[in-house]
Amino acid sequence: MKTKVVLTFSPEASNQPITHNLIAKHHLLVNILRAEIDEVGGKMVLELSGKADDIRGGIDYLKANGVGVRPIKEGVRRDDEACTHCGMCVSICPTKALTMDLKTGKVSFNEDKCVACGVCIDACPPRAMEILI
Amino acid sequence: MTASEFKEYVKTNGVKKAAREVDVVTTGTFGAMCSSGAYINFGHADPPIKMQKIWLDGVPAQAGLAAVDGYIGATALDETNNMMHGGAHVIEDLVRGKAVRLRATGYGTDCYPRKEIDTYVSLRTVNQAVLMNVRNAYQNYAVATNSSAKTLYTYMGKLLPEFGNATFSSAGELSPLMNDPYYRTIGIGTRIFLGGTQGYVMWEGTQFNPGAPRTPNGVPKRPAGTLAVIGDLKQMNPEFLKGLTFTRYGSSLGIGIGVPIPILDEDMARCCAVTNNDILAAVFDYSQPTRSRPVLREVSYAELRSGDIDIKGKQVPTSPLSSMYKARQVSEVLKSWILKGEFTIQEPVQSFPKDRPLKTLDVRTEREAT
Repeated sequence: MKTKVVLTFSPEASNQPITHNLIAKHHLLVNILRAEIDEVGGKMVLELSGKADDIRGGIDYLKANGVGVRPIKEGVRRDDEACTHCGMCVSICPTKALTMDLKTGKVSFNEDKCVACGVCIDACPPRAMEILI
Repeated sequence: MTASEFKEYVKTNGVKKAAREVDVVTTGTFGAMCSSGAYINFGHADPPIKMQKIWLDGVPAQAGLAAVDGYIGATALDETNNMMHGGAHVIEDLVRGKAVRLRATGYGTDCYPRKEIDTYVSLRTVNQAVLMNVRNAYQNYAVATNSSAKTLYTYMGKLLPEFGNATFSSAGELSPLMNDPYYRTIGIGTRIFLGGTQGYVMWEGTQFNPGAPRTPNGVPKRPAGTLAVIGDLKQMNPEFLKGLTFTRYGSSLGIGIGVPIPILDEDMARCCAVTNNDILAAVFDYSQPTRSRPVLREVSYAELRSGDIDIKGKQVPTSPLSSMYKARQVSEVLKSWILKGEFTIQEPVQSFPKDRPLKTLDVRTEREAT
């Protein structure tokens, strides 16, 4: 199975080889979709592939080491009331999570493709996109 | 029929039959229209004040119109340049029925002794509140892209570096003036759909430029005609009027405009049959901060709508800035009003000028400007 998670690190947790441990000790395939670090800690978006038990074990390991773990679906949210379907977001979304139906002109948001990069946030004229991490 | 329905009808039945069978075609657009605003008469206070400076929720409104009339522009920002809440957002708040804080100062006169007031107003408490936009519904516009190495934030949206994307702002074949390229049926006094209610064309829009280059079918390839429009803000619907923010540019007003076009004859039917394949726009590199940017290429709205276009050999993803979804809604609502007899077609009381050169602003001496 596959799952996408958003990890948040304190500066202490940033110094541990957690990606290595997820691969070596929990037998997971790790695809780093996004990673950044600054003075207040770090943030990483990972796609984890492996057996369900291993994924659960890996996530428990992360939590036990002070890493915040959240499913990607809690990463970016669209306010459907505010969206005017203008389509500004569709050409800048690097993972094509935001696409326009050419027939109806409606913009849809596929949360499974979103990597919470946040490029859409300040591009959205009615400010319908919100990043939560 | 809506403009979309009409184009389909012409494809299967031909222009002759369409001209005989169809009376009116409803067009629509919904996009950021910066040159918009509303005038409001607040009513007189006791003791009365001659307002010299006015703020609505901290956003400055234009005074200088007698004592208690003000005009709030869509792109007006407060002293901190808070783009998340500019004049357009204040106008939307009013339309949503919210109360906004009115602060005003005056210098005090014998007849208007009061020097300041701090209160709340809403559309319920004011006399007139009228949306009066001097340039809306551009007949075609441009395609924006960015060749530079850094992201640009423009009124054409966020432009990614190295031709990372391209944005365009016209509703294309649905857009009102694209369907009446020579302004035969649209002029001063035309009744229109404006922000969810009935409004009027009050004049040619500013920067009206009928002399822009055109394709053989008459559709301009560059920004050409514009509309100045007016309507009762108190009757408007937030579904079709929205405060927008373009990061590092400012605020703008998203507004829905629909114009009914009577199919007077076959020529008018041919005009309204125009499709995105026949409408071209020019691609400009917005990394060049000059008035006359070079044209990178011309591209059809059908290509723009397909999701990407070719620029210098690169497939560049495109974004419309005007909502096709809402433009269709506008044309459908307008059609339903006409069918129900709630909206009647108004012949213009005066046509737009056919010849109006577009002037520029240059630094001149008094003699040169005279």
